[in-house]
Amino acid sequence: MADTNTTNRLPLDKGLWLITVGLAAWIIPGAGHFLIRERKRGMILFAVITTLFAMGLFVGSIGVVDWVSGRIWFYAQILYSPAVGLIGNITKGGGYPVYGRPCDVGQIYTCIAGLLNLLCVLSAVYMAYCGRGEMIGHEQEQDNA
Amino acid sequence: MLDGGFILAAFTAPIEIGTTPSSMLWMFPLLAAIALVYKATKMRVLFTKKYLLESLLLFLSVSGFMIMAIIVLNLLSWLVTS
Repeated sequence: MADTNTTNRLPLDKGLWLITVGLAAWIIPGAGHFLIRERKRGMILFAVITTLFAMGLFVGSIGVVDWVSGRIWFYAQILYSPAVGLIGNITKGGGYPVYGRPCDVGQIYTCIAGLLNLLCVLSAVYMAYCGRGEMIGHEQEQDNA
Repeated sequence: MLDGGFILAAFTAPIEIGTTPSSMLWMFPLLAAIALVYKATKMRVLFTKKYLLESLLLFLSVSGFMIMAIIVLNLLSWLVTS
């Protein structure tokens, strides 16, 4: 099992650990919490944020991810995961046009999913910094005892 | 029969949503997701029942505020245009 106790780490180790947690949380929503042994929290975050992003793509099609004509939206969408860049690469040719209300709803859903994932990245890094996973692990053990 | 290609194809064309007042209902899944994620990051220890209850309360309060904002804006619009 990974050592999540950050209090006894060297500053460089701790920094690398926080970067690892942050990157994991960005690449796969909820993975940062999973790494610090907040598994239940990580699974909830993954399920909710991924469902929200998938709903946005379903409503507006993958055309809502457009880094050519919707660059500002794209900056928020890519916070969901770097994999959004692959979708942007598919749609950059303009082969998936979307207009009107479906475009609005799809863009809002995907952008909010990205911004919520930013909140999760910050939460996971902060919890890793405070050693929260370790602390809650002890609390759960005490509850079970 | 459903297969992977059929599911992927569903993401390549937008669905039909009219520009009607009922399209505002699309805000509720968004509010539910925001409430669930916010409470998941905010609560110190996640107890399922407490987590669901607090998420529901947040969802209801934000939804109530949004509905009130819609009513007030509609009233203002009616007063200005009448």
